Formats: sequence, C-alpha cells, structure tokens
Amino acid sequence: MKNKIKLALAQISSKRESKSENLRKIEKLTLKAKEHGADLVIFPEMSLTGYVVLDQVYELAETIPGPSTEKVEALAKRTGMHIIFGMPELSEKTQATVFNTAVFVGPRGLIGKYRKMYLPTHSVFEEKRYFRPGYEVTAFQTDIGNIGLSICYDIFFPEVYRLTRLKGAQLIVCISASPAVRKSYFEILTSARALENTAFLAYVNLAGVEDGLQFWGGSRLVCPTGDVVAKAKYDEEDFAVCDVDFSDLRTAETFIPTLRDLRPELFDKFKECAEKF
Amino acid sequence: MKLISSLLEMDFSETQKRICRFIKEYVENAGAKGIVLGLSGGIDSGTIAALSSLAIGGENVLGLMLPEKENFNQKDIDDAKVVAAQFHLETQVCDMSDALCGLYGAIPVFDQSDRLCKGNVKARTRMIYLYYYANKQNRIVCGSSDKSETMMGYFTKWGDAAADIAPIMDLYKTQVRKLALHLGIPKELALKPSTPALWPNQTAESELGIKYETLDLILYGLERFMAPEDIVDQLAVEKTLVDRIKSRWLANEHKRRMPLAPKIGYRSVGNDFRLPRHTY
Repeated sequence: MKNKIKLALAQISSKRESKSENLRKIEKLTLKAKEHGADLVIFPEMSLTGYVVLDQVYELAETIPGPSTEKVEALAKRTGMHIIFGMPELSEKTQATVFNTAVFVGPRGLIGKYRKMYLPTHSVFEEKRYFRPGYEVTAFQTDIGNIGLSICYDIFFPEVYRLTRLKGAQLIVCISASPAVRKSYFEILTSARALENTAFLAYVNLAGVEDGLQFWGGSRLVCPTGDVVAKAKYDEEDFAVCDVDFSDLRTAETFIPTLRDLRPELFDKFKECAEKF
Repeated sequence: MKLISSLLEMDFSETQKRICRFIKEYVENAGAKGIVLGLSGGIDSGTIAALSSLAIGGENVLGLMLPEKENFNQKDIDDAKVVAAQFHLETQVCDMSDALCGLYGAIPVFDQSDRLCKGNVKARTRMIYLYYYANKQNRIVCGSSDKSETMMGYFTKWGDAAADIAPIMDLYKTQVRKLALHLGIPKELALKPSTPALWPNQTAESELGIKYETLDLILYGLERFMAPEDIVDQLAVEKTLVDRIKSRWLANEHKRRMPLAPKIGYRSVGNDFRLPRHTY
C-alpha cells in the first residue's frame, strides 16, 4: 500500500440526464488527472446523471455493475487510475428501488460501492421520495490506501464518519451535491469530521445550476488536523490536485488522540437514547 | 431569533454574482438570443434590467416600455431610460392605449368603473407584448416579481408574474432596494415608492396597508415558521396586522401554482408529475 498518494478533485457541472456526455467528461478529467500524476480522481454526487432528475431517476438508474460502471471500469483499467463517482443505482432484485450511490473503481475493476445512508428530505431536497437508504458504512483496503466513502448529507451525522474511521478508513471521501445556501455548514463540517476522526477528508461538490439550485463547488482536501490543504474554486467547474501523506496520521493521532480516547460504552447509551428519542 | 432589520442584510456582491450566473446559464442553456423584460421605471424592473445586462450584456437585453394614456407618467419613462442608458439596454416603446381600448370594447361585460378588473387587463396585456417579443425574437421573458409581493399575492395572476425566469423572486422588497443601490442604480430611483401602475396614483404600500420595512420582517418571520404571537411581540405591531398578512399569504397560494386539477391519472401535471425543467 502506498504511503503517499495524489488526489484529483474533479469538481464538475453535470449535464442532467445525459450519461454519455457526463461519461465523456469523466473520461477527459481522468486522463487529465493521470497527466498530473494522480492516483485517484473523485467526481461529485450523482455526477453521472446530474442531481435534480426527479422522476427521471427511474429511467436513469442502473445496476452496479452495469453499462456505465463497466465503461468507467474500462477507463480505470486503461489508465491505471482509481475513480470515484456518484450515480443512481438500481437494485438488482426489483425494478424501481434506487439508491444514491458512490462507486469506487480501480485498475483491477470495481472495488466497491457505498449507498448514501442519510437521505435529505427537507427544504429543497426530496431524496426519500426516490431513494432507499443504504445500511452499511464502507472502508476499502486498496493499493492506494484504506479509503471510506460517504455522500453529502451523511456529513451531518458524525456516527457515519466515526464508524467509517473505525472500519479502518484513513481517507474518507465525501461526494456532494450541496447548494449554495448550505455552503457554510459544509465548510464547518468537513473540517470537523476530519479533525474529530483524525482522518483525511476529500470533499468533492458539484458546480453549476440545476433547476435554480446553485451548487457551490468549493471541493477540498482536509488534513487530519482539520486544516484545508487544497481547495477548488467556488461555484464554477474546477480541477485541483493535492497530496495525501498517510504518515501524517501518526502525528495527528498523537496530538489529537480522539480514537485512543474513544468510550465504547457511550455508544450503547447513544443507541438506547436514539431509540427513545 | 430577533426580528430586526439587519436580518435582511446580505452580501449583495455574492447575491449579484449568484443571480447573474443563474440568468446567464438559463439563457445559454435555453439557446435563446437574449432577454426581454418590461421596463416600467420602477425599482424591480430596473434591478432585473441591470442584473440581466450584467449577466449577458446589455446588447442582448430588450427593455419594453409599455405606457398607456390613462396611466401615462413621463417620470416613469424617464426613469426607465436612465436605467436603460446606464446598463446599455436596447429599448422599445410600445403604446398599449389602442390595444387596451380594443380589448375594453371587445369584452361585452367590460366595466370601466371596476378599476381592479381593468387594471388586471393592463397587466395581462403587458404580458402579451413581452411574450410576443420573446416568441418573435427568441428571447426569455425575465420577470420582476419580488418575494414580498409574491408572498402577499400582490400581483396579477398570469399578468406581471408570468415569466420564464424570476431572478429576484427570492428577495424581499427591502433587499431589492439595497441590491439596486449596490448595482449603482440612482438612489432616487431605488427608493421611489413601488407601484403596479394599474391606475393613476396607485402605490403598493398604501394598497397593502403597511410599510415594506415592517412587512418584510413579518414575512421573514412567517417564512421561518415563527408563531404570529412572537412576531407581534418582537415588532410591537397589532395582532390583527400579522394575522391579516399571514392570511393573505396563505390565501394566495393559488396564484403561485399551476391550476388545480382533480387527481385522476397515474401521474398528474402540477401534482406528482415531477420532472426536471430542462432549458436545453
């Protein structure tokens, strides 16, 4: 496993309902990431289809593996790159059960997927209308490190990140479709989640406007002490390359020993209270 | 939450940037050649004219001035010209007087003394002019409704609120005024009393029965689910006033939506047909 890797934060504006065009963009930026010496390129939530697709999600969703993931797998094999992107995933067992999923592929094919656990259904969001939530946190041991996945609103739930970290993730990726009115929350939470778990956090947001929703971009890499070490532009498409040195974790964990000081008995209490809430 | 005027402050540079980006992307994605908007000489239309010009260039924005003899006001025309010159808009004056006279004469039950019904004919006739230019010249109709009047239902259904985009519909009137000043619109114009100009000497605040400074704070509280009693306490206003504003806001939802249809089919327009608005 590599101790140092290079990430590319591919902050794109997706063309809604045009998987072919978005796949072309994914290909173009994966090649660009390779040129920059990146090991991993990350695209935003629902970057395959665009975020505000509403009822069209039933036409756009695909199984994993499926036609689109196979194309991205082929791209990863051809370039030797690792790629993370978001898409609506159709259940293999039913015809209209859809998940909001992050897909992780590498040079040897599909590494895994993460189904968004917390589906925002308030304000302008109506994800529970369309998606079934996921039930598992993920941490994938890969050639480029132990990497966990999360999606957007999950970041409001520290337990998702704590579990992901406890499963071994040293870099937690959060792909997002966050509109501008929520920018300040994400700027705080990305640093908080990295800091409290002493993990690297790569946040990649959509840019552009969909149905009046303006995605604020601002993708970033946050180091385990909560500092933002790389940041893409606000609002517009951008591409940022940054370095992750996993040996920094040791320095952070000794200085901020939150994992050492973890109190498992509180989690039982947490469960008990949450059930009665 | 303390209901004070500073709540309505915002970063107007950021607001300008967001609205301009919204306009530009919409026009580009729609493949339109530009924008047409009604240029009344008022603050709302002046603000959308300025924003449209900053977004896509004044040469791509057509400001229609639509005077008519009953309500003719040279000052409004002059103010509209000031904004047009400042933001390099194309303009066109269309005197609606003959069209309106024709309509009045063609409606068998037309009642000259009913100024509200007659005024609504004027607002809808303006819409017809705007959409004619939009169709003919492949332009987007840019609406000038703000959040205060939209929440209050203070507009003509299918009239002044009829548009393809509404760039300032999420800004209260007091915010629009400040945005206008930020954009460099002359103070005299930015702060002049608003009027729908449906009949002579009509002003919005006298019809609504409240100053926008107070109205906007009441609406701000209602928007955030504040209890009317709390709004009354904080603003030291009569309970009847807040109740009246709340009732009016709720009663006018029909003006802000697609027409109501009985649910019969599998998926219904305006109800559970949830499709993305494509502009390309």
